Amino acid sequence: MPTIRVLYIDDEENNLNAFKAGFRRQYEIYTAISAAEGLKILENVVLHVIIADQKMPQTTGVEFFKSIAKTHPDPVRILLTGYTDIEALADAINHGDIYRYITKPWNDLELHNSIKNAYDAYKAKIDLREKVSELEKTNDELNRFIYSISHELRAPLVSAMGVINVVKMEGLYDSCGEYWSLIETCSNKLDYYIQKTLQYYKNNKIASENTLVNFEKLIPELINLYSYTDKDTHFHVDIKQDSDFYGDAFRIEVILGNLISNAIKYQKEGEGDKKVNIIIEVKNNAAEIVISDNGMGILNEHLEKIFTQFFKIKTNHGTGLGLFIVKEALNKINGKITVSSDLSEGTAFKITIPNGK
Amino acid sequence: MLIDDNEVDLKINSKIINLSKLFDEIITCLSGDEALAYLNKHADDEQSLPDFILLDIQMPEMDGFDFMEIFKKFPEKLKNKCLIAMLSSTLDFGDIKKAEANPYVIKLLKKPLFPKELEDVLNKYLEA
Repeated sequence: MPTIRVLYIDDEENNLNAFKAGFRRQYEIYTAISAAEGLKILENVVLHVIIADQKMPQTTGVEFFKSIAKTHPDPVRILLTGYTDIEALADAINHGDIYRYITKPWNDLELHNSIKNAYDAYKAKIDLREKVSELEKTNDELNRFIYSISHELRAPLVSAMGVINVVKMEGLYDSCGEYWSLIETCSNKLDYYIQKTLQYYKNNKIASENTLVNFEKLIPELINLYSYTDKDTHFHVDIKQDSDFYGDAFRIEVILGNLISNAIKYQKEGEGDKKVNIIIEVKNNAAEIVISDNGMGILNEHLEKIFTQFFKIKTNHGTGLGLFIVKEALNKINGKITVSSDLSEGTAFKITIPNGK
Repeated sequence: MLIDDNEVDLKINSKIINLSKLFDEIITCLSGDEALAYLNKHADDEQSLPDFILLDIQMPEMDGFDFMEIFKKFPEKLKNKCLIAMLSSTLDFGDIKKAEANPYVIKLLKKPLFPKELEDVLNKYLEA
């Protein structure tokens, strides 16, 4: 049992002495004959529990507790009061931040239990504060860690990708069999993982914020961004917008970006006429978006699992993160997604995102 | 002019610019300080000033944004002559927004540098 430091303030010397006599074996006891004296002790000793008598000349117990509410919030307060002091009690409960009140004359066992409980409350309060600051620190570190991933880890990878570019420009790409292309595939994959990890993290972390979303501008940007690896795909974009749309720009970009990139990636092998259709209809209450392709399609038995983390199938080279992130991001903004697919026709994703106007 | 603390990237990007024949001469600087010293030295000599500066964001001591703070105090003539694009592997939303918001940064290019993207920017902002 750690030492519990208790301050008792009472204008009657007899009570102070009785208290000391009764409890000095259990606690480290400080006594004061007035609020002013109590304050002096409070300023020099880290106290756990303060007991104050209500009826004192000059400053009452409640007034004393009120006066130290801001400067010494930690010690737990117990008020000693006579049976009839209903007003003082109400005041104490409403303004004094008092943990418990004890009627006078006190019963030793009751007071003893109260002090013990008060100390537990004190400890819980301090522990909680330490936990919170520990958590804040961890959170802070995590943020910095994520930032390092986005730079320190990615920077050298991107340098390697730059080397591959130079190799291509110098016409050396095919000079040693398929080695360069293997390196390129691995680098791209690693880069993709880093980017998805960041997207997932940001989706969890960043609060949703609605701004005006301009699909007419966003969609061509996304197509441009994701189609640089595959210039053969034909995009058909149809946007009907009767009303302004307000939504979480970051998440909408993540959702549409992942779906568009999937539509481009999972084409049928040898398909001469690769098509991706993007149809958007913005209404007053929601935006409905359909992204469909004539790609390889998804097996019926896989449809239920495609939104789970790390689900992937043998025949393609996914990471099992893209659609999982889509689903997570939609959850954050109360959106919905359905999918229909046919191995011969291709796949269509239908998304509904509420208009935050 | 290329400003980057990473020698590998300086080498790669010089090579890419050389191979794509977009510029006649490349000045490489390993830090913002080095670049500022060059600009100061040649401030009155338009022939020696770069037409285009590719500026890395994350550098020790003086990062790309610190560099911009000092760059904006140069005379208008120099600022008009030397167009600046930032070049970074950052995916950090804050950095991207900050770069786009800077009035003297015409574009934030992402690493790895693709000659095509560089050419597009040059066509848009650099006449002849």
